[in-house]
Amino acid sequence: MRVPYKWLQEYLNVDTSLEELCHLLTMGGLEVEEVEQWTAEDGGDSDEILMTVVTPNRGDLLSMVGIARHAAALLGSTFNPSQVSYPEIEQPVVDSERAELGPVTVEIEDKVGCPRYSALLMEGVAVKPSPDWLRYRLEAAGIRAINNVVDCTNYVCWELGQPMHAFDFKLLKDGHIIVRKAEVGEQLLMLDDTWQVFSPEDLVIADPMGAVALAGVMGGADTQIRDLTTTVLLESAHFDPTTIRRTSLHLGMSTEASYRFERHVDPNLTLPALARAAELIMQTAGGEIAQAALDAKARDFEAKTLSLRPERCNALLGTQIESKMIAEYLGRLGLRVQEGARLTVTVPTFRPDIEREVDLIEEVAIVHGYDKVPLTIPSHLTGSGRLTREQKLHRRVGALLRTGGLNENISFSMMHPRDLDRLNWPQDASEREPLLLANPSSQEQTAMRTTLLPGLLEACSRNARHRVADVALYEMGIVHFPTAEPGLPTEQQQVAGIMMGSPLTTQWNLPPEQAEVDFYYLKGLVEQVCQELGLTKFHFARADHSAFQADRCARLIFGEQPIGVLGEIAQRVQQAYDLPKPVYAFELNLDAIVEQATEHRQYQPVPRYPVVRRDVAVVAPDTDEFSAVRLSAEIRSAGGENLVSVEPFDWYTDTQRIGEGRRSVAFSLTFRHADRTLTDEEIEEAMEQIHGRLEQIGGQVRTE
Amino acid sequence: MEDKLKALAEEARQAIQQAADEQQLEQARIKYLGRRGQLHQITQSIGQLPDQQRPVVGQLANKVSQQLDQLFAQRQEELQTQVAEAERVVQALDVTLPGRAPRVGKRHPLLATLDEMIEIFLGLGFTVVEGPEIENYYYSFEALNYPEYHPAMDEQMTFYINDDVLLRSQTSPVQIRVMENQSPPVRIVAPGRCFRRDTVDATHCHTFYQLEGLLVDESVTFADLKGTLEVFAREMFGPQCHMRFRPDFFPFTEPSAEIALTCIICGGEGCRVCGDTGWLEVGGSGMVDPNVLEMVGYDTEKYTGWAFGVGVERFAMLRYGIDDIRLFYSGDMRFLAQF
Ligand SMILES: [Zn+2]
Repeated sequence: MRVPYKWLQEYLNVDTSLEELCHLLTMGGLEVEEVEQWTAEDGGDSDEILMTVVTPNRGDLLSMVGIARHAAALLGSTFNPSQVSYPEIEQPVVDSERAELGPVTVEIEDKVGCPRYSALLMEGVAVKPSPDWLRYRLEAAGIRAINNVVDCTNYVCWELGQPMHAFDFKLLKDGHIIVRKAEVGEQLLMLDDTWQVFSPEDLVIADPMGAVALAGVMGGADTQIRDLTTTVLLESAHFDPTTIRRTSLHLGMSTEASYRFERHVDPNLTLPALARAAELIMQTAGGEIAQAALDAKARDFEAKTLSLRPERCNALLGTQIESKMIAEYLGRLGLRVQEGARLTVTVPTFRPDIEREVDLIEEVAIVHGYDKVPLTIPSHLTGSGRLTREQKLHRRVGALLRTGGLNENISFSMMHPRDLDRLNWPQDASEREPLLLANPSSQEQTAMRTTLLPGLLEACSRNARHRVADVALYEMGIVHFPTAEPGLPTEQQQVAGIMMGSPLTTQWNLPPEQAEVDFYYLKGLVEQVCQELGLTKFHFARADHSAFQADRCARLIFGEQPIGVLGEIAQRVQQAYDLPKPVYAFELNLDAIVEQATEHRQYQPVPRYPVVRRDVAVVAPDTDEFSAVRLSAEIRSAGGENLVSVEPFDWYTDTQRIGEGRRSVAFSLTFRHADRTLTDEEIEEAMEQIHGRLEQIGGQVRTE
Repeated sequence: MEDKLKALAEEARQAIQQAADEQQLEQARIKYLGRRGQLHQITQSIGQLPDQQRPVVGQLANKVSQQLDQLFAQRQEELQTQVAEAERVVQALDVTLPGRAPRVGKRHPLLATLDEMIEIFLGLGFTVVEGPEIENYYYSFEALNYPEYHPAMDEQMTFYINDDVLLRSQTSPVQIRVMENQSPPVRIVAPGRCFRRDTVDATHCHTFYQLEGLLVDESVTFADLKGTLEVFAREMFGPQCHMRFRPDFFPFTEPSAEIALTCIICGGEGCRVCGDTGWLEVGGSGMVDPNVLEMVGYDTEKYTGWAFGVGVERFAMLRYGIDDIRLFYSGDMRFLAQF
């Protein structure tokens, strides 16, 4: 809210510098974001404007008087409302739901939406532009001047905090105000020249012909004050915050009035505001008060009485404020306090946010000053904190991938379903049915991600645009899937990585084909992730996945369950993302891996006897049937119990050397016995068995 | 005979010591010490000497042979060392060439900062818990004492999946999930990703990280909250850094406090970053509202507690001097590899 300093000073009794005042307010719950130097458009006035930020619970700080009252409490001075003068008005006509006097009738149909409606009739008014002092006040506060009558109602709104409305009384059918819910499809041309269509949850001010104003939000154009208006009906009502907020939200109309009503206006302000507005109108537009005010109200609005235990106050704050001081603090805020073992506190209606003992304690803390509350270390902090098992395992996976050269990346949780088109993701995959946002903030991000790969490929692509062709990134993050059952969607922790070019090392003397990462590098990382988490029963199988290059993609399988995919990104995807080099990527279901993880490690005795090494090379058809993993399994089973490791060291296809459709794989074999040195005969025998087995399954053993 | 032996010994000694390389040394060995060498020839003629001379000359011959063997071995080692040194000079490295060990990847600066923050609270005895990123309306608002249709909802700018399911706009729902399942004392911090419908610019983003803290026990005070966060500020940025508390409003705390950190750019003097205030707002805090404790079934007379929530981005930006929040999500290797 814009608070003109000169205007505010009228209600402040003290001489304090602007800087001090701003600091005091900021530390006292009303943040002054900045102070703006203001000069009137015509240069006739200038002021300093306090730009305040009001928390939603403090509607009482949305007026000059409210701010002055609070400032006085913080300053320990008295508040000076003497500038606010009221004319004599006859005792109002009070009625529960229908008040009538002279030509005016006020009828409240919806007592929930409008618990109180006060109105005052003025005659003989001359509508014209406001005098300079009034125009400047409004301009400084950021309100457009309209004419003297409307300007006076706005002035009162800023001064006291009561939003008001002025009707041209002659344009109200039968002088009859009805406060009711709108009918379905009821329409009104508003003051801002827009047509609004209401629904039955909206509260309107109507005459017998139909709506004339949208209650607590904006008046209608047809009954507004115009140059020829002479008879004015001033509205000063109390509207229910929830009703006004609902209307304001669904019609998308937020006005100074609705902003205040949403934050609760003092229900006992309606009559003083009418009197104050009448005084200002008589000053600036002439005319006179025609008759007593009308005051229709569903009930009386009385001050609450609460009780406060000073020891509870100090126990909660960790302070030692004397009971007398507590009473004084509350008194300064305009609350009435009766001292005793418990303080009995009467809370006026301008502070609806104070409802409980704890609310009073907060007020004590504010006036006392948060900065005067001591700093203590809780005695409760004993024992040690810990991470969960999942958190620890996630940290280990991250550390391992970083050691493998991947930099950690984070990308947004939101995506567009068509991102998966760009990735050529399989049409029938579950990732194709993401959770959709009901109110996305951008056209590009309308759904929750189901895979981390679009984010990583996008990152790769951005790097390529910056001519960074060597990329190594990983991300650990959550993906979401809708669930059939009611309740929350499935959250799944994933880990994914991407590599392009030769990000691992500076390349001098290293041929590019050796420096560049490949499928097997990435696979090694995935294997080590599994090993790091103690997984044993996993394997890789060739897979078809349209986002990956055919024949260059594998699935990671645990038991029977696929828990990840890795491979070379398909060429068409590489082109779609405009990437200069082949890209390798993996994505794993980290939850599934963590579920199977074991932190337990069992020590194996370090071997005491030397190993014996032998090599075997086998040429076999270039098909999955003769995969490296199968050949090594055959060798293992034929090699006997002394064969402790089988590692491939050479793999090639070469039509000239070994013929078409064939591949050669050479394995390095390690033999060892736990208790003695193996004999040559034992090794030769095992090798014979191995050769025999390889020939038997259709391989051809190559000997040097 | 003795003289002859001595003269031979001297000659051989010189030959061994003057051998310039292993080849010359080998020639000397063959000439003097070999099977057909001169020393051997002399020893063989010892047999022809008179009986009384034989032992004396024999001893002398042995001694000479031993000395020469020793000398030979010594010279051989010297020459080999020289050769090795000479070879080493040939293979001299340009030690200024860059190393070729695989480059290690880096932790993301935002998450590294979050780790750092978590470490401090682990040290203070807090346990780390996490909650879902997509939450129910109940945990997000109702259980946190947000009245329906309250203007406080405006600040949340919530993304919805449907009326009941939404992307959490703060980590506070974790408080409720923890308290529902646990009796006091409660000592937790909850890190996590949050979402608000904010437009993205240098200082705003629709996705951000928060660290939530909650302590509930008998006689927990507002002063404890201030003390704990002060410790946190100093651990994070050093002893010259403080926390400032000023009144604010959150439906789930009463009293509520905004927390601000001494501007570490200007040391509290006031600068562009802190808007000349000397303070940087980093989050919200307060004493857990009795309504919240009541809803999870805690005795509000017996137990009190405090909670706080701080944004991680701000800390990370201060820690590394990062001036654009969008860099965190850029995926830019030139950025990520710096940390
Ligand atoms: Zn600063």
